[in-house]
Amino acid sequence: MDSPSAARDDAARALLRRESRALRRQVGLPILLGLGGLLAAMAGAWLVARLLAGLLGHGEAGWASLAMAAGLALLGAGLTLAQERAQLAAGEAARARLRDAAFARLLEHAPADPTGIGERVSLVVDRIEALDGYFARWIPAAALAMVGPVLVCAALAWADPGSGAILAVAGLLYPVAMALTGIGAAQASRRQFEALGRLSGRFLDRMRGLPTLVLFNRQEAEAAALGKAAAALRQHTMKVLRVAFLSGTALELLSAGVLACLAWRHRSLLTDGGDPTAALFSLLLVPAFFAPLRGFAAAYQDRLHAAGAATALAPLLAGETGQGLLLAELPPRVTVTFTEVRLSYDPARPPALDGLSFRASAGETLVLAGASGAGKSSALRILMGFVRPEAGRVAINGQDAMALCPAELRRLSAYVGQHPHLFRATLRENIRLARPEATPAQVEAAARAAHVLDFAEALPQGLDTLVGEGGWGLSGGQAQRVALARAFLRDRPLVLLDEPTAHLDPGTEALVIDSLQRLCIGRTAIIASHSGARARLGRVLEIAGGRVAGAARAAEG
Amino acid sequence: MRRDLLRVLGLWRGQAGWLLAGILVAAGSALLGVALLALAGQGVAAALGGSALAGGIAVLLLRLLILLRPAARWAERMVTHAATFRALADTRIWFFRRLAERLPAGIGLGRSGDLLGRLVADVDALDGLYLRSLVPALAALAVVAGGAALLAGAPLLAAAFALPLGLALALPFLLAPGAARAAGEAARAQGRLRAAAIDPLLGAEDVLAANGEAAAATRLSEAGERLAAAQRGLGWRSAIAGAAGGLLVQAALLGALAWGLASGEGGAALAVLGLFLAVAAAETLGLLPRAGIALASAAAGARRLFELADAAPPVAEPARPAPEPEGYAIRIEGLDFAWDPARGPVFQGLDLDLPEGTRLALLGPSGIGKSSLVALLLKLAAPQAGRITLGGTDIADLPAEFVRRRIACLTQDARLFDDSIAANLRLAAPAAPDAALWRALDRAGIGELVRALPEGLATGCGEGGARFSGGQARRIALARVLLSAAPVLVLDEPTAGLDAETERAFLETLEAVTAGRTVILVTHRLTGAERPTRILRLVGGRALPAAG
Repeated sequence: MDSPSAARDDAARALLRRESRALRRQVGLPILLGLGGLLAAMAGAWLVARLLAGLLGHGEAGWASLAMAAGLALLGAGLTLAQERAQLAAGEAARARLRDAAFARLLEHAPADPTGIGERVSLVVDRIEALDGYFARWIPAAALAMVGPVLVCAALAWADPGSGAILAVAGLLYPVAMALTGIGAAQASRRQFEALGRLSGRFLDRMRGLPTLVLFNRQEAEAAALGKAAAALRQHTMKVLRVAFLSGTALELLSAGVLACLAWRHRSLLTDGGDPTAALFSLLLVPAFFAPLRGFAAAYQDRLHAAGAATALAPLLAGETGQGLLLAELPPRVTVTFTEVRLSYDPARPPALDGLSFRASAGETLVLAGASGAGKSSALRILMGFVRPEAGRVAINGQDAMALCPAELRRLSAYVGQHPHLFRATLRENIRLARPEATPAQVEAAARAAHVLDFAEALPQGLDTLVGEGGWGLSGGQAQRVALARAFLRDRPLVLLDEPTAHLDPGTEALVIDSLQRLCIGRTAIIASHSGARARLGRVLEIAGGRVAGAARAAEG
Repeated sequence: MRRDLLRVLGLWRGQAGWLLAGILVAAGSALLGVALLALAGQGVAAALGGSALAGGIAVLLLRLLILLRPAARWAERMVTHAATFRALADTRIWFFRRLAERLPAGIGLGRSGDLLGRLVADVDALDGLYLRSLVPALAALAVVAGGAALLAGAPLLAAAFALPLGLALALPFLLAPGAARAAGEAARAQGRLRAAAIDPLLGAEDVLAANGEAAAATRLSEAGERLAAAQRGLGWRSAIAGAAGGLLVQAALLGALAWGLASGEGGAALAVLGLFLAVAAAETLGLLPRAGIALASAAAGARRLFELADAAPPVAEPARPAPEPEGYAIRIEGLDFAWDPARGPVFQGLDLDLPEGTRLALLGPSGIGKSSLVALLLKLAAPQAGRITLGGTDIADLPAEFVRRRIACLTQDARLFDDSIAANLRLAAPAAPDAALWRALDRAGIGELVRALPEGLATGCGEGGARFSGGQARRIALARVLLSAAPVLVLDEPTAGLDAETERAFLETLEAVTAGRTVILVTHRLTGAERPTRILRLVGGRALPAAG
């Protein structure tokens, strides 16, 4: 019961270790600079102790020592600056590496990924940002917390062995206190990050559907629900903090205790004529002894957050990316064969494809017809590499298509899905997406062929009109035509269209079918459609329940 | 900058008790910390100076402080954090409400990724105002004032102590305006990074289909680099502020020593006190200059939130609402409307008369303004001229909430939320029993499919209905509208995405489902199954009678 979560933790730790190794140099520099700063602070404390002792009538120290102390203060400030600069650079390098890797995988798995967009975006933005603290602050803080107190202890032991021993005991007690408080905090951190992800996802989901909420007068109820979600998040977070702050409190207690012990010790030593400089030095070093530990406690939050983020990222980053064969060259003509192909998205539901077989010959236009849910879209999605069939064979020109790397498979096709997405950009840029290197003339030709120019020319800025995210500002039919223009521009041997005329009025539909026919000339085309106009496009294959329907199946035989 | 921050404080009035308590606990805890180190120093110095009695008292007090100080620190952190989270949650919800008033017609040309960024990141940045600026600044003020009071006997020493520390106290507020620009840049860069991630993921199939992965990845890593550069600028300022804080504390410490050196034997005791006060103040004050950066980030977040929250609502609510009419006949008279003058008018002198119980089929090619008419009816947009009446009252004089209660609408972008089917349906009728939900699902022709799901009504829909096919999601959205008790139903392309058989079955049951209600069926073609009482075609901004 415990082991899946242990495995997740292991994966997260492995991820962080791998990254720290890869960034050894960037991560090491701040540690060295931090040690330099600590040495400057100790030397300064020694000078101040001598000055103070002199002031109280024990020993000689004057303005020269004061000037040296001021010089050391300046040096310390310079080293702090350099250390922070090095830390920033280390964090940046780590984030860039991880973000690139995570995003590449997210995008590749996106068509089959049921998680909400908000959650996935939070993965590449918020969680990667949360890792920054691990590399920029936690690693240097942890290293300094190991070495720094030892250095201070040694310096003090040199001045007064008894005081050194007091500090050493405190230093040894600290990890015990951390261990007692740290274990619960790690668990709580994971819960808190899950809550944060859900809250982000919920906000984005509700924001995107704001018009729907407003139309049902539910915005107030939803605001209240969001309030409840925020309250739940607060409770989770406070649970994390209660424990995390407790470890901070342990540090305070130790630091106060050490101060008191040193004060008692030196008060009694001094009455017996002990070394006043060592006594004052020991008191002044207490802050320097605890500063690295304080930094460690502050950065511990970073580590907890990073561990939560790494647990979420590890499964994603462990996945393979871009595997498979590459095409030697783009074949000019393509024959597609499905043989007994099976696919199911959800074991609880009937399979989407249940032994589908068909053949689309080179240059042929094949229309897959059937009720919604019959499996038309699934066949197209397999050819796009968005999903992989569980059984059966999908062949292109006789070769196993599933052996190809998905991105290579997609190079063969021009595809228009059921809900083509328009980006927040101009019409022209939206079309050019299909082939970024296309010339303006080619983009315009594609826009004309898909009847985009019919409406774009009426707009004051023509093809340079800005479209909102998701095609805002265009009607469904206009957006569909922009998507078809992409297919024209793409100019590939295989054309895959999913309900290309679903959102069109009859007048536009006739126009689009006319241009579809031109698009399909000389190419192999597979079109999923339940529209009445499909017969004009090409051979119709009826599909029902994920396989070829009875009558047509006999004809296929 | 100051105005925005003051306004944020105004929004937090409801949590004033928590916020004040946090400040008091923080000040108390800071003073305890100073007392602890000062007493320890005094104890040793007193022993050195031969005054064993004073040292003894100091050590007695120490025992108490050893326990009190850690407890106070813990309480300080808990109270200030709890106060911050409460205040931030209030801000989020305030912002959501404002946005619901201002952007009812959708996010439009804004980016949803950017919006999410504003909500989550900008609101979170506001914690800098309280947690990282106000609380430490006021705690530090208490420390400086307390220390100066103890040293008041020697004015020069008090000045040597209080001047550098006072400067450290003022530094955040001096640094904030400069950092504000850098913080604004970082916040914008983060919004752009989010958008660069969200855009290709929203249209992932289209990006993949175009083999555009590399281009999308490049855009993301460029956005990441810009964010890193902006954060570097901010981090650098923060580092400088931190170094300045450390130096100023050292200046106070060495100042006290210098005063001691200059004044000789007599001033030793006071100089020692000043020195240990400075050492103790270091923890509170040394980190304070960094608060300037937090303050600037908070101001930048506040600015962006208010920019969005202060946009004018597209349709103002009536100042004095008219009495709510009983009837639900709709009349449109001489309506002129354009979304944007540059794009040309959508309607010019549109007239339409819909008595109660009308079944209107509204035809026209895509882009002719059918959806615009829906927006005007539901007060998502206001006409430039003419009026729409509901039950004889101009809807401009009626609260939008009332209009939307009487007119339920299936829009083209009707959305399913990432929640159960039941919760999605109950948006239209929160109190509806399960039986009513099943009836609505059956009427929309999706009841059978939902019954076959193992979790039935409790099945999650996924974000935007992603668990279902386009046609299935559309039918659930349709069921939601059918569940509503509104006497007027506007169905914008209710059968888009349905196959011919399901479409016919739905249209045939529609008449029975909507008996007595007014139905406006927006469609681009009739199948023959609708049996409307009137058919109109939108042409050139007007509605003309049409044959099926």
